[in-house]
Amino acid sequence: MKKIILLGIFLGWIILPLAAQNKIEFKEFTLDNGLHVIMHQDNTTPIVVTSVLYHVGSKNENPERTGFAHFFEHLMFEGSENIDRGQYMNIIQSRGGTLNAYTSNDITYYYELLPSNELELALYMESERMLHSKVDLTGVETQREVVKEERRQRYENQPYGTILPETLKRAYTTHPYQWAPIGSMDHLNAATIEEFQQFYKDFYVPNNATLTIAGDIDYNKTEALVRSYFSEIPKGTKEIYRPKVTEPKKTAEVRDVIYDNIQIPAVIQAYNLPPRNHPDSYALSMLSTYLTGGKSSLMTKELVDKQQKALAVAAIPLELEDGGVFLMYGITNMGVDPKDLESEVDRLIKQVQDQGISEEEFTKLKNIMENNVVSGNSTIAGIAENLAEAKVIFGDTNYINQVMEAYSKVTREDIQRVAKQYMDLSGRVVLYYLPKSAQPATE
Amino acid sequence: MKKYIVGILVTLLATAVAVAQVDRSKLPSSGPAPEIKIGEAESFTLPNGLKVFVVKNTKLPRVSFTLVLERDPILEGEKAGLSTFIGEMMLGGTKTRTKDQLDQEIDFIGANISASSTSVSATSLKKHQGKVLDLMADVLFNPIFPQAELDKLKKQSLTGLATTKDDPQAISSRLSRAVVFGKNHPYGETETEKTIKNITLEDVKAYYQTYFKPNIAYLAIVGDMDKAEAQKLVTQYFGKWKKGVVPTFTYPMPVRAAKQAVALVDRSSSVQSVIDVTQPVKMKIGDPDYISSRLLNQILGGGSASRLFMNLREDKGFTYGAYSSIDADKLVGTISASASVRTEVTDSAVYEFIYEIKNLVEKGVTQEELDKAKAELAGSFGRSLEQPGTVANFALNTARYNLPKDYYATYLQKLNSYTVADINATAKRLIEPDKFVITTVGNGAEIKEKLAQFGEVVEYDNMGEPAKKLEAEADMTAEKVLQNYLNAIGGATQVEAIKTAKISMDANVMGTALTISFVYDSQNGRYGQKLSIAGNVMQKTTLSGGKGSVSMQGKVQEMNPEQLAEAQLNSYLFPEAVYKANGYTATLDGLKDVDGKPAYKVVIATASGAKLINYYAQDSGLKIKYENPASGDTFYSDYQTQNGVLIPMAWTIKSPQIPIPLEAKVTSLQLNVPVTDEDIK
Repeated sequence: MKKIILLGIFLGWIILPLAAQNKIEFKEFTLDNGLHVIMHQDNTTPIVVTSVLYHVGSKNENPERTGFAHFFEHLMFEGSENIDRGQYMNIIQSRGGTLNAYTSNDITYYYELLPSNELELALYMESERMLHSKVDLTGVETQREVVKEERRQRYENQPYGTILPETLKRAYTTHPYQWAPIGSMDHLNAATIEEFQQFYKDFYVPNNATLTIAGDIDYNKTEALVRSYFSEIPKGTKEIYRPKVTEPKKTAEVRDVIYDNIQIPAVIQAYNLPPRNHPDSYALSMLSTYLTGGKSSLMTKELVDKQQKALAVAAIPLELEDGGVFLMYGITNMGVDPKDLESEVDRLIKQVQDQGISEEEFTKLKNIMENNVVSGNSTIAGIAENLAEAKVIFGDTNYINQVMEAYSKVTREDIQRVAKQYMDLSGRVVLYYLPKSAQPATE
Repeated sequence: MKKYIVGILVTLLATAVAVAQVDRSKLPSSGPAPEIKIGEAESFTLPNGLKVFVVKNTKLPRVSFTLVLERDPILEGEKAGLSTFIGEMMLGGTKTRTKDQLDQEIDFIGANISASSTSVSATSLKKHQGKVLDLMADVLFNPIFPQAELDKLKKQSLTGLATTKDDPQAISSRLSRAVVFGKNHPYGETETEKTIKNITLEDVKAYYQTYFKPNIAYLAIVGDMDKAEAQKLVTQYFGKWKKGVVPTFTYPMPVRAAKQAVALVDRSSSVQSVIDVTQPVKMKIGDPDYISSRLLNQILGGGSASRLFMNLREDKGFTYGAYSSIDADKLVGTISASASVRTEVTDSAVYEFIYEIKNLVEKGVTQEELDKAKAELAGSFGRSLEQPGTVANFALNTARYNLPKDYYATYLQKLNSYTVADINATAKRLIEPDKFVITTVGNGAEIKEKLAQFGEVVEYDNMGEPAKKLEAEADMTAEKVLQNYLNAIGGATQVEAIKTAKISMDANVMGTALTISFVYDSQNGRYGQKLSIAGNVMQKTTLSGGKGSVSMQGKVQEMNPEQLAEAQLNSYLFPEAVYKANGYTATLDGLKDVDGKPAYKVVIATASGAKLINYYAQDSGLKIKYENPASGDTFYSDYQTQNGVLIPMAWTIKSPQIPIPLEAKVTSLQLNVPVTDEDIK
């Protein structure tokens, strides 16, 4: 019996090819003012998601005014010429909806999820935001306080909360990825109201936005509604500022110690990545899963279960448009010297670089990737976001249907190759997070 | 060609609409309400009694299997906590797979399998369904329950329990459950160190053998699978599962407080009070008041636009958030409102909670509030339908609660049919505003008196047990307590005969061995303390020649006069024997509870204000606790005789600086041995 089961496992991975993705159908068009619109119809549930992706993130900021893009994510809920201050959320919620937004280094994303008979409301709300959002002193003052609290809660008061900003600061010398979206409070305090208004004029324009509507819709009616609400919004008059710098390859390791309000030390390593749409991104994503994804992954089994040097380990490829970072962190077990943990992490990286991965592990990775890609399109909110990113970051909306194919092209050798090529010890950033109590008194 | 013409028409139409200006001055009105279609679940039952629901959804090539046991709640008593181990124990290895093999095989197909005391569930892509069912069935039918896994889980559980004793939210929840349901009710009992230690492998096995039976189980299959295929697979994997008699239990309905009462846990370090206002309610899904109670709660405290949130946060700024809940449950539900508020406004916040509840019941809700609540709940009901699992849940509830077949199909109609009068009637039926129990966890010295206006304040300990009423005898003095202590450990003469001591202790923190050592030589004004890991000194304190220093990982800092005075006060092995001679004062600060033991609190102080705080057990006279606001508390136990004097061999150190209590055991104790400068360094 056991033999038969084993045989089954064996056959299972030989004969089953990667399944083709269920194709995501969509229609798209562009208005005269440059607004790109993507629609995806799925009538199974009477709900609709309406999202706008503004192609502006922290990398588009003036180095003297960091934090602007994220600040706008807050400001854009202040209301408009027709929507009273503080009413934006209330209006959506009282029609049975929910809403949210986020800002990254590359984009700012807003969405509303509503019953499908409220599509017009959602289009109205988003068009108000794009046409004439309230950017005034009262809103700026209010949101400054809120952002201050957010900053305290998520960065300053959060153990290890500053990992991202501290890493980015060292991983980039030239590219504006060197600051995180939360930016600088001083910059926000110093900014004048005219500067905020200018940012809105520069970036919150239809030719810098992608509107995505997914769910229980009728294509023709939706297109007509979109045209009636968005056509009157004037196109931006200036070219959108996008940094054109290339981050030079680092030739020496950057190593530092951060003293934080923590009990347990952590080791962070960061390796610079190629641009997000580079073909190697897929192999790198599989590599990170090989290292730390799942209970049976290399580093989790070896460092957390067996050696018990780490409480937790994680490898996260932070994929960015112009090239992000492969971020790895390990939180040490009580009393373990961070150096010990780091040398074990390095040993395992070297093992992958020298020996590659086994055929069985490779098959496991493909299976996990397949499951992730399939599950990534399980909600209309997820589909809308993936469609918008496919268009803006990968230049082709239909990219959403090609992700699986891209993963299936990755070979075992690719994984070993990217491990060698990108996890270059001489160009990386290494940070030790240590408890403040361990800080030398002289510093 | 026809397609082309239609295309042109559409474009023309669209352009025409675009020309029409929209009126931006008012919100677009809602379109006609969409028909909410709720997917159908198909069902069948195996001969062994296993009831199966199949919700076919082919949108994605995935399938999930969720097995749920429907058993009565269990009063675990002396084994409280047992059920929390069952799921992980089942995943700890099977007859043919070690835990490592299970982990690897589950990850290998990109699947997930989890288990609890009343469920086992598995999710994978369609094409791996055979494999994932094979693994799920193995976990369900062939677990071997390794002792080592139980030991590991018990250790983790004890660590977890230790952290919850300091966590105000956890204390509050334990307190509220204990007060509302009583300790002899499945929802009121609490696991303790003792009950966790009581749990054996036999208990785990017995639980598994008693309750994992097909005749009390439901299996929900959701995803890319139809009924015919489900029937074949379920029969193949679960058909041989043997029926069994599963015990049933009934419990008396908890009684509401006769009048408003206050239960308090004094947590003196709190800067916030956790407030919970609760009463039990007989209410389960499908009851006549069930849907109206959803609307009622949405208005009272269901979200960021509710009355409680608007009053306590937006208007008063007492808290980051205030919410309420009306929980439905087969056995007994609860009506509850809660918030964490600044210590200073504790009584004001309680007042507002009671005001809002009373006001809701007496004055009722408005049409506007009701309309908004309906929209919010209908919206969230509609959104939940996107997940195919929701339909399976509906089918499960329909079976478990014996609901009419169209209960969920007509849910929105029912929701929309409620009037203001209906909601107000529900409020009056369910809520008795003057019979709530108000539980608070906070700084007792600041809040206890102020809470008395709301009813009798009864104190509880951090495990939800009534706090012992402790009062020192009228004729007890600090001097007597200290004298009793000296007598208890062997008498003043014996104690004074001990001039020097070297103590070394070992402790283990999450796998790391620590060594702590002390050197006492008070006659010569010398004292040394060291903490080492693997032979490396991490931290040390030294007193010698009228000077003191502290060093952390090699960095040395000289003590200032204040620190020096405190360090000197701490440098005696038996300060009780010398305090008078040194001119220190001793003050009795009452009888206190130390982990369930009554103990006298005595403060020895220097003229400059340095303090040494110790607790001496009322019964034995022994010193059981040393309190230090800066470095934490030390608990002494396992007293053993050395040179005719009783000395504690086990020290438990609890400090905010370490995540779990440190259990230190004395490994070497040398009395009256020469102390050299080298020892102190």
